[in-house]
Formats: sequence, C-alpha cells, structure tokens
Amino acid sequence: MSSPIVRVIDVHKYFQRGSERVEVLKGLTLDVPQGEFLALMGPSGSGKTTLLNLIAGLDRPSEGEVWVGPECISALSETRLAAWRTRSVGFVFQFYHLIPVLTAYENVELPLLLLPLSAAQRRQQVLTALDLVGLSDRLTHRPGQLSGGQQQRVGIARAIVTDPTLIVADEPTGDLDSRSAQEILALLVELRESLNKTIIMVTHDPRAAARAHRTQHLDKGVLVDAPSMSHDFE
Amino acid sequence: MKFLKLIFKNVRRNLLRSALTAAGTMVLVFVVTLVLSILSFLDQATSEKAQNLKTIVTERWQIPSRMPFAYAQSLAEGAPRDPGDVRVPAADSMTWQFYGGTLDPKNRTPENNLFAIAMEPEKLMTMMDDLDSLEPDKAAAFSQVVAKLKANKQGLVLGKERLRQIQKKVGERIKIFSVNYRDIDLEFEIVGLFPDGRYDSSAAFNRQYLNDALDTYPATHGGKPHPMMKGTLNLVWLRVPDRDAFQKVRTQVESSPLYSNPAVKCETAASGISTFMEAYRDLIFGMRYLLSPAIIVVLCLVIANAIGISVRERRTELAVLKVLGFSPWQLMILVLGEALLLGGGTSLLSALGTQFVINDLMGGLKFPIAFFSTFMVSTDAVVWGIAFSTGAAFLGSILPALSARNVKVSEVFSKVA
Ligand SMILES: Nc1ncnc2c1ncn2[C@@H]1O[C@H](COP(=O)(O)OP(=O)(O)OP(=O)(O)O)[C@@H](O)[C@H]1O
Ligand SMILES: [Mg+2]
Repeated sequence: MSSPIVRVIDVHKYFQRGSERVEVLKGLTLDVPQGEFLALMGPSGSGKTTLLNLIAGLDRPSEGEVWVGPECISALSETRLAAWRTRSVGFVFQFYHLIPVLTAYENVELPLLLLPLSAAQRRQQVLTALDLVGLSDRLTHRPGQLSGGQQQRVGIARAIVTDPTLIVADEPTGDLDSRSAQEILALLVELRESLNKTIIMVTHDPRAAARAHRTQHLDKGVLVDAPSMSHDFE
Repeated sequence: MKFLKLIFKNVRRNLLRSALTAAGTMVLVFVVTLVLSILSFLDQATSEKAQNLKTIVTERWQIPSRMPFAYAQSLAEGAPRDPGDVRVPAADSMTWQFYGGTLDPKNRTPENNLFAIAMEPEKLMTMMDDLDSLEPDKAAAFSQVVAKLKANKQGLVLGKERLRQIQKKVGERIKIFSVNYRDIDLEFEIVGLFPDGRYDSSAAFNRQYLNDALDTYPATHGGKPHPMMKGTLNLVWLRVPDRDAFQKVRTQVESSPLYSNPAVKCETAASGISTFMEAYRDLIFGMRYLLSPAIIVVLCLVIANAIGISVRERRTELAVLKVLGFSPWQLMILVLGEALLLGGGTSLLSALGTQFVINDLMGGLKFPIAFFSTFMVSTDAVVWGIAFSTGAAFLGSILPALSARNVKVSEVFSKVA
C-alpha cells in the first residue's frame, strides 16, 4: 500500500464537563495508507467517535495535527472545513440519519447541492451512486418506506456521491441484523476495491472488523496493541 | 436556488404547525394592514398639499361653526375687495349646511337617524374629495344623480350603507323630523346613491330646499324667523391653486369687515382636519405607536416560536447537514429561508387578500372616526404590511437561525456518558 492519506499526529482532545476537564484522546498518533480499510475497535467511551470526528473534520483537536492528503485540516477555519468535507469525506452513521422528508434520490443529492454542478450532472452522479449500492429501483422512496439495510445503503450512496477520497463510518452495522450487516460490509469492501477509497470504520463487532485490512484498538484515549476483550463484550 | 426545495419541504414537514403559524401570521398581518391603511389615510388627509389645496372657512371662536347664510355669497368668492384681490371661481367653492333629524320622532334609533349636508348639487363633482376624480363610467352615472338633485330640490343622495340602515330604496320618499332645525321637517325623494367607497354613510341634498323652508318659516310662525336663522352656514370650502393664493385668500377673508359678528377663520383643509383630529389624538397615537408595534412584536414571537421549535426538533438533522458539508451560514440561510417563506409568503397572501376582501368585496372598512366613515386598504399599507411582517419573520428567526448555525456536530453525535 502507498503513502498515508490520513495522518494523526500526537493528538490530544479535551472536553469540558462542568468544571472538570476530561482528556478523551491522550497523544494519539495514527497513519492510514491510501486505499486501506481500517477498523477501529475499543470499549464504549474510549474515544473512537471523537477520533473519527477529528479525522472527518467535524471537530478540531485540542493539541496536535490531523492531515488528510495534502491538507492540514486541523488548521482550517470552520467554513473552509465545511467545504473541504463536501469534497473529501463521506460519512456513514450508525442510525443512517437520512432526512425523513426527502426521497432516497433527494437525500443522496444533498451534498451535491453544495458543489457547482448542473442539474444534469447532479442527476448523473446520484444515479451512479444509487446504482453502486443497488438501489436504483428505490429512487422515490422516503426513508420511512425503506428497511434499515436499505436506509444504510442510501446513507452510503450519500457518502460516496461526491466521490470523496475518504469514507468514515461510525458503527455502520450497529443498528442492523446480522444479514443486513454482512451485506453492508460486503458493499464497503466492494467500494473500496472498485473505487480505491480509504475507509475508516468504527465497530464493536469483531466479525465486522474481520472484513478490514487492519484493526486498531483504542482504550482510554490511546491506541493499544492487544484488544482488551473484557471491555469489548461488556 | 437549489435550497428552495429543501426549505419548502421543511415548511411542509409539520403541516399542522406551519398551518397554525401561517394562520396566526395572516390574522396579524390582516390587522396590521388595516391599521396602516387607516393611518396612511389620515396622514394623507392631514398632510399639506402644495397645489390645488382646499381651504375651510369656519366661525372663528366657536365649534360647531355657525355663520349667517348671508356670508355665503362673498365667502364663496374668497371675499375680494380690491381689484387686485384673488377671486375664487364659482366652481372652486362649496357651502355646507348640516341638517339632521330622524325618520321616526317617536322611536329614535341610530338606524333611523339621518344627517345630511345641504349644498349646491353641482359642487358634488367639483369639490368633494374622490367624487371630483371618478372613473369615467362612475362619473357618468353619478352626474345623472347630480342632475336629479338639481332638477328636484327635494332630492336626496345617500351612500349605500346609509340606505341600507334606513331600509329604504332609491325612488322612495322619506320624511325627516329635524333635530337641529326644529319644525323644519323636510320630505325627500331618494334620487340616487353615492359611488361606493368613502361616502357610503353620507347623505346630501340641494341647499335650496333647506333655505326655502327657512325663508317660509316666518309666514307660518307669526312672522318670527327660525331661531337657527342666525347661523345656518356651517362651512365654506374654497379651492386655491397654491399656498401663495391660500395666504392671500386667508388675509382677505380674515380681515374683511363683512365678517365681524361672528368672526371667521380660514385654514387649509389639512390643518382643519388636523385640528378636528385632535380629539382622536390618543386613539391615533395608540394605533401608531402601540398597536402596530405590538402586532409586529407578536408576529416576531409567533415566528420565533414556530421556527425555534422546528430547529430544536431538527438539531440532529442540522448536524447531519453540517457533516455533509453545509457551512454554518448555509444552515442559517436554510432556517431564515424557512421563516421568510412562512412569514413572508403568508403575509403576502394575507395583505393582498385583505385588500381584495375589504376593497373589492366589502367596499371599504367601516371605521367611523371624525368625519371619515369608510377606509380603503391602500396599496401603501399592503406594501408596508408585507414589509413589516417579513421583517418580523426575519427578526423572529434570527435566534433560531443562529442556534442552527452553532449546532455542534460532536455534541449531537456523542453519546455523552
Ligand atoms: N462534546 C462532548 N462533550 C463532552 N464530553 C464528550 C463530548 N464528546 C465525547 N465526550 C466524552 O468523550 C468520551 C469519548 O466519547 P466517544 O463518543 O468518542 O466514545 P466512543 O469510543 O465513540 O464510545 P461508543 O463506543 O459508546 O460510541 C466519552 O466519555 C464522552 O462522554
Ligand atoms: Mg461512538
């Protein structure tokens, strides 16, 4: 695999909780090569989502730097960061988070509204994305009319529609039955292979992690070598 | 605009709430538009014109003004004495004599009360506001009525509202038992109607009829003149070309030796009306500085409430949009757009609807204040009504929009333990 596309360098993240300052990430360093499918595991509260948010440019580290490609995203202003996210990251949520009043088509189209594209170009990209996730026949369905697995496919289509280099997924199969979960994982693997995307996925499910190239374990804000099993199955 | 569909769908999301907000907005905009109409009408009536201004000559020291009818002739000309003086042409003057009474002296009610202005019929279309500028077809119709008033001195012209109240029809005869001219009970034939609008509650007749009756009064009353005879002329209206002419006429009238007992004064219609409106000062002040702002504030709150709730409900969704790359100000635009669509759209509908219903369906708003009885919803008021309420919608949604702007993604999605 090639040079790292994501570089997390000695990152600290503090949260203020009341008068107390909680250190959630404690000097974390991580490289993710271009095209890798990385799984992040760890007990609840270990800082997985926090780390993912930093990598996706949804939050900024208290200390340290986060680089994605040529961009030091921890130094970008909020507005620049928003524009960067549109083009460079696709985010897949555990609870899909589709907009309930919009159809599958319109949900996938949302990020494209932020780019200087013609209606025809947008249409082309939306149809391609929905085709990739196998939902070409559900364009006009609303989220409420789709199964969980189908909603997550729409969520994935929305994440890849702008053709980002990086896809981050926070427990994408956490809310699905095991069959749908396997289908979603297969889809992610396939996308990575056919489109050469870099995927970072947080999961609690060892079977999901098994589909990734590499699994990193997080515990109390630092990466650890061995999984602390006792926590994972609490 | 690509976001428009999104905004529209958001408004439609909770139809009941949007509908209730829209209904509230409509009611408020309705009231604001009416209030603004009345205010702008009064402003117009009391604002000084520079050209073609109307002046009112009244008794100087007393309200109500009662001048002897002998003043009429010379006053109508502007009381010129010297060759260089301004002489007001006949068409530019008008005398008013108020005659009031009841149709049923045994059972007097507001409905069978009738108050009419005795005047020269031909002045109806040269000197009366609005009637002097009718559209051609209305003018043609009304000039027929004027002709009847001239030909038949017992003729009476009524506004449609007045006619409805006394429950008579055009062509019928009525007898009025006078209240202010005791024993001068006049019989009238209703010969026609005022054009719809401003004069819906008014009545006018040929002054000749009243004055003849006053002249024959002594013959049946032991040679004594009618007790009101000293003051049967209430107002004289004069039209002058400009303020300069007004000042001259005013000096001519006020310095003329002809009018010493009682003395007279001459003022512009605007200032005359202003003086008259003094009595309503508190009411108008309240409408302008309390009622209107209060409505705007309430409107602000209605919108703030609806949009605030909708933003709070959608915090997660707004966070998702942020994740997708919507910038803080784009989220603000979405929320403000929603408020403007809801507030601005409905106020547009409401204001235009108000104008249509009041002006076209109801023929004006009945709101008797001073000597105005009917108000039309002015285009000014519609425009300001829309502007104010859209502004209120905007103001009301600023806080919710700011909170949408500041939605913290990491907070919304972290399961804070
Ligand atoms: N915005 C925030 N403000 C305060 N504390 C926060 C915030 N976000 C996260 N935390 C805290 O940071 C710690 C790590 O949270 P994080 O969401 O990253 O954990 P996680 O590993 O994703 O857990 P889970 O497996 O349950 O999703 C938790 O103790 C959490 O309470
Ligand atoms: Mg998490």
